[in-house]
Amino acid sequence: MLACIGLLAVWQVASLVLKNDSFPTAIEAIRAIPDILGDKESLINILASLRRMALGFCVAVLVSIPLGLLMGRSRSVAAFFNPLLMVIYPVPKAALMPIIMLWLGVGDVTKTLVIFLGVSLPVIYHSFEGAKAVEEKMLWSGAAMGLSPAQRLVRIVLPAALPEILTGCRTGLVLALITMITSEMIARQSGAGNILFNALDMGQYDTVFAMIIIVGAMGICFDAIFERVRARLVRWSEPQFDLPLSFS
Amino acid sequence: MTAVPARSSEWVRPVTSQEPASVIIEIDHVSQVFQTSARKDHVALSDISLSIEEGAFVSILGPSGCGKSTLLYIVGGFVSPTSGAARMKGQAITGPGPDRGPVFQEFALFPWKTVLGNVMYGPRQQGVRAAEAEAQSRALIEMVGLKGFENFYPKELSGGMKQRVALARTLAYHPEVLLMDEPFGALDAHTRTRLQNDLLNIWERDRKTVLFVTHSVDEAVFLSDKVVMMSKSPGRIREVIDIDLPRPRRRNELLLDPRYQKYVVDIERMFDESDEAGPAS
Ligand SMILES: Nc1ncnc2c1ncn2[C@@H]1O[C@H](COP(=O)(O)OP(=O)(O)OP(=O)(O)O)[C@@H](O)[C@H]1O
Ligand SMILES: [Mg+2]
Repeated sequence: MLACIGLLAVWQVASLVLKNDSFPTAIEAIRAIPDILGDKESLINILASLRRMALGFCVAVLVSIPLGLLMGRSRSVAAFFNPLLMVIYPVPKAALMPIIMLWLGVGDVTKTLVIFLGVSLPVIYHSFEGAKAVEEKMLWSGAAMGLSPAQRLVRIVLPAALPEILTGCRTGLVLALITMITSEMIARQSGAGNILFNALDMGQYDTVFAMIIIVGAMGICFDAIFERVRARLVRWSEPQFDLPLSFS
Repeated sequence: MTAVPARSSEWVRPVTSQEPASVIIEIDHVSQVFQTSARKDHVALSDISLSIEEGAFVSILGPSGCGKSTLLYIVGGFVSPTSGAARMKGQAITGPGPDRGPVFQEFALFPWKTVLGNVMYGPRQQGVRAAEAEAQSRALIEMVGLKGFENFYPKELSGGMKQRVALARTLAYHPEVLLMDEPFGALDAHTRTRLQNDLLNIWERDRKTVLFVTHSVDEAVFLSDKVVMMSKSPGRIREVIDIDLPRPRRRNELLLDPRYQKYVVDIERMFDESDEAGPAS
């Protein structure tokens, strides 16, 4: 919080010193925020962006966690998917957009798909690593209690790998926001990224900076909320010397 | 699922040596060969045959790397032998099952479960109702001396406490055979002695069959009816020694007992010899 205020202060001073048309002061930019959020069309655009982001993120997580866990515990599944992912991994997902646009148009499907791709890889990777690291004796203990292989995957590998999986999801969440904006910059038709770039084209620099603040604030909020949820879910793994439940 | 009432009588069964002992586990010409990265086959176990009687406390003793853990894993059904077979009550062992409960040296507790959650896991999996499983588990936790720690997570426990939880977790689903792999190996001498006493108390009450891996000679003699001495490279059974000491055993009496001392000295000498033997050429 303090860091944000400090950043805004530096910005304000810098903009006053530079006195550049394309560099509004922080106060001007902040003043533009209510205008954007008050405008019905902009709001609908931003909400549509968020909906795509949520959908892409959720579907990606739901697909990637089981896939990553299976890869981590089955050599044949890993051997099948690993080469595939290795090819996709270093390719910027936005670079795939022109092809996807060609096939699926510039609508929601394309943008959601790109978000999905962006989120999938870190989640798969972390789930994979987490599942691989699960202690074998833990699985053996489960097997001795009568858990079937599928039950072991869901009831032992999943919880044991959860800290690692959630680390992947956290990276994925930030990537979802990034790919959301990028996708809207490429397929300009609607969304938060579109508002940003339209304003840039029209020279409304305060709107540009206001949008940057809005998107940045969303990112910080999502991450903070996710981090809270994560910390709750994996409290059992967090290194600490206090007694349980003794921190809030 | 086996009938539960039949088991409760085991808890009160008097300690008698006249009972005809029936073989519960048979290890029949088992060999285990590992492919090593040096592309040389490593014979971890070579032609092991051993019968374990129901209700017996059997220790497997031997130098590091002689295949003790491997043998235990084969009986547990976690590893299948390269040749030969292990049988439980005449049935070939093809995989793990709740009739054989392992206690690993690494504890292998479920870190996302509390002490109570860990201990309840087995009974719940066996279909015991939650309330009943909880009551039984709380009793077990008290028995292993962890009353008050039910809601602690494993990371909040000391090594000795974790080992107690691991033991309680396995006892909770009533395996007929306990497979313990150096359960006290990582503990300090004091905790180790205490846990040995506790284990003996539990066992003398319950009379489960126990297969207990250790490389401590006193521990093996103190606890067991039978000590299986193994030697290394390749892993072989060198000697099976019956420990003919009265039960219930009390540590303070036993340590002064010349018979106990003789067992320890004899087995220690054998141990040294088998260690010196080194890798066979
Ligand atoms: N998965 C494996 N792959 C290759 N070699 C193995 C494997 N598991 C065990 N071995 C080898 O088999 C031999 C016996 O191993 P094992 O773990 O059974 O010994 P141990 O008697 O339990 O030793 P310790 O007392 O140190 O625990 C060792 O020489 C080890 O190197
Ligand atoms: Mg071992």
